[in-house]
Amino acid sequence: MIETVKLSKTFKGKKAVDEIDLYIDEGESIGLLGPNGAGKSTTISMISSLLKPTAGDVKLNGKSTIKNPAEIRRILGVVPQEIALYEELSAYENLKFFGEIYNVKKTILEQRIQEILEMVGLKKPQKELVKTFSGGMKRRVNIAAALLHDPKILILDEPTVGIDPQSRNHILETVRKLNEENGTTVLYTSHYMEEVEQLCKRVYIMDHGKVVASGSKEELLSILSTEDMIQVTLSEMSDTVVEKVKSIKNIRRVDATDKSLRIISKKGSSILSDLIHAVESEGILLTNFQMETPSLEDVFLHITGRTLRD
Amino acid sequence: MFPVVKAQLKKDIRSPWLVILLTLGSILFTYIFTYVNNNEQTQTTIPIFSSDFNSSEVEEKWEPLLNANQDYVFVITDESEAHADVEEGNSEAAIRLSESDYQIIAASNTQAVQLVEDYVHTVFTQEAQLEAASGSEDIEATRKQIGGYLEDAPLQMQTESIEDGEVPEYNMQLQLLFGFTLFLAMFTIGFKVNGVTSDKISGVWDRMILSPVSKTAMYAGHLFYSFFIGFIQICIVLVIFNYVMDYNLGHNFGMLLTVSAVFTLSMVSLAMLFTGFIKTPEQFNMIFPSIIPIVPVISGVYMPPGLISNPVLLFIADLFPLVHAMEALMDIALFDAGWNEVTLPLVLMLLIGVICMGVGVNLVERRTK
Repeated sequence: MIETVKLSKTFKGKKAVDEIDLYIDEGESIGLLGPNGAGKSTTISMISSLLKPTAGDVKLNGKSTIKNPAEIRRILGVVPQEIALYEELSAYENLKFFGEIYNVKKTILEQRIQEILEMVGLKKPQKELVKTFSGGMKRRVNIAAALLHDPKILILDEPTVGIDPQSRNHILETVRKLNEENGTTVLYTSHYMEEVEQLCKRVYIMDHGKVVASGSKEELLSILSTEDMIQVTLSEMSDTVVEKVKSIKNIRRVDATDKSLRIISKKGSSILSDLIHAVESEGILLTNFQMETPSLEDVFLHITGRTLRD
Repeated sequence: MFPVVKAQLKKDIRSPWLVILLTLGSILFTYIFTYVNNNEQTQTTIPIFSSDFNSSEVEEKWEPLLNANQDYVFVITDESEAHADVEEGNSEAAIRLSESDYQIIAASNTQAVQLVEDYVHTVFTQEAQLEAASGSEDIEATRKQIGGYLEDAPLQMQTESIEDGEVPEYNMQLQLLFGFTLFLAMFTIGFKVNGVTSDKISGVWDRMILSPVSKTAMYAGHLFYSFFIGFIQICIVLVIFNYVMDYNLGHNFGMLLTVSAVFTLSMVSLAMLFTGFIKTPEQFNMIFPSIIPIVPVISGVYMPPGLISNPVLLFIADLFPLVHAMEALMDIALFDAGWNEVTLPLVLMLLIGVICMGVGVNLVERRTK
């Protein structure tokens, strides 16, 4: 359905997006994952035709959208990262405004507004001014405004930033329903790994403007299939013990936090006795030892060497 | 375009205070300043005194002669009091009178002092000529004789306007009315045009770009609304002064509104030019109100015509639509000017409008890219 071909964007000599290739099939739910500044927003701005790429192309059903963006705009709903609403108007008035600019017929607009307000759980306070809403309610109106013309593709740019867990769950549930029940194609960007794991079938991981990994959740996790994840808690922490643990054979990576060590080791290697010995030789007790299933967060850490919230 | 206009209108209906305050401000400022201005004009008081041995005789001689003119009130005062008035700035000047001479006492040589001196000099010269003409005869008899002769002089000068009517007296009250009305409308227009930047910053602009609404319609919606609100504000003030407060705005109210409409249009463009140079609505709210109050000052809106003669200031004032609108409005209201007379100011305002709009929109678009 949508495909980007070596999509690049340079701002004042600095490459924000560097030759990105991605594709989204009809009805798919795709996650675009990466830390702040990875180039996610720039990528979706180019896909949604708001920003012209420096190089490369965006194709809709094989046709370039760069010279003629009208076609993609017609079927696209974009939820921007910022609250793109008139805060001096009510939720209902905002939706009516966006419905009117999308030429939604008057006869169905009213019904459509009520349906969407119901969907995002704001039917009751619809006449209240947006500026009086909580952050979560504003984000829900922000999503609602992108749904009035019943888009085939929905692009959401970090729609859950800075909101309460209740609103967050509501938003995730709304997006899930749109994808699974309405068949809406979803491109969801976030730096919250768990949201993407929950919503998306396929994930593109971006860092420094490039796609560093992509595939289904299982495919990405298989990157770590040759490794074990071990979480260790110690009675106290010291630099020497970290160095000693790092020097143990078959241990590939050690990350220390407070009194914990997160260890990545070669799959199936028995490091427990060496580990206990290394810790106890420093007069420190090993209070907890746990084997963990790797998450996408671990995959990201493995690929980029940093966490998503760095 | 209409959904954009409707949304802006709804926002202002929710919070109409800016427009209401600026409209009321126009009415209030005009009323207060024209009232003060009127009072000042009738109360230019000049203290006079004499230090001669026959001081009361000298003062009684010159006081009625000097007070023949209605622009000044010459009041016989004690010498020390007259000096104190000048020193403290209560009077522009004081005059020490002698039998056939005078001395101006002033703190500095201002234009107002010059005008007083010109007038006093004329009175003393006329009296000297009269004394010379009367010779040994009674001067009052000569004065009467000359007065009678001048009533039916063989050479007479008559002043007529271009349309053979009476030459109207310049009306400063009217100038201040138009000046304040247009000045405060400039703020309203500017703040409304700033809606373009607000929409861009909030992301609403991007949402509109993705919708079927064309960019022309997006700009047109915002700019038409800014024009509409600015023009309505001017209309309300002019209607109130013309029909409620009974100010004489001439016989062609329709032409006044047309000029106001062209002014509003060119101001919308000027505000768009400002928008092209700034990045955020907050920057606009800081820069626009800092620059706009200078415009009526250099355009001479608060002063009688002709007081600003610096060519640089006059050139700068010509770059703004205010000076052209004021010229056209005063010509229509005071001199019953027709379309031919106001064509030039109208064309200049339209030209400013076209240039500012072109450059402004271009700058805004270039930044977006």
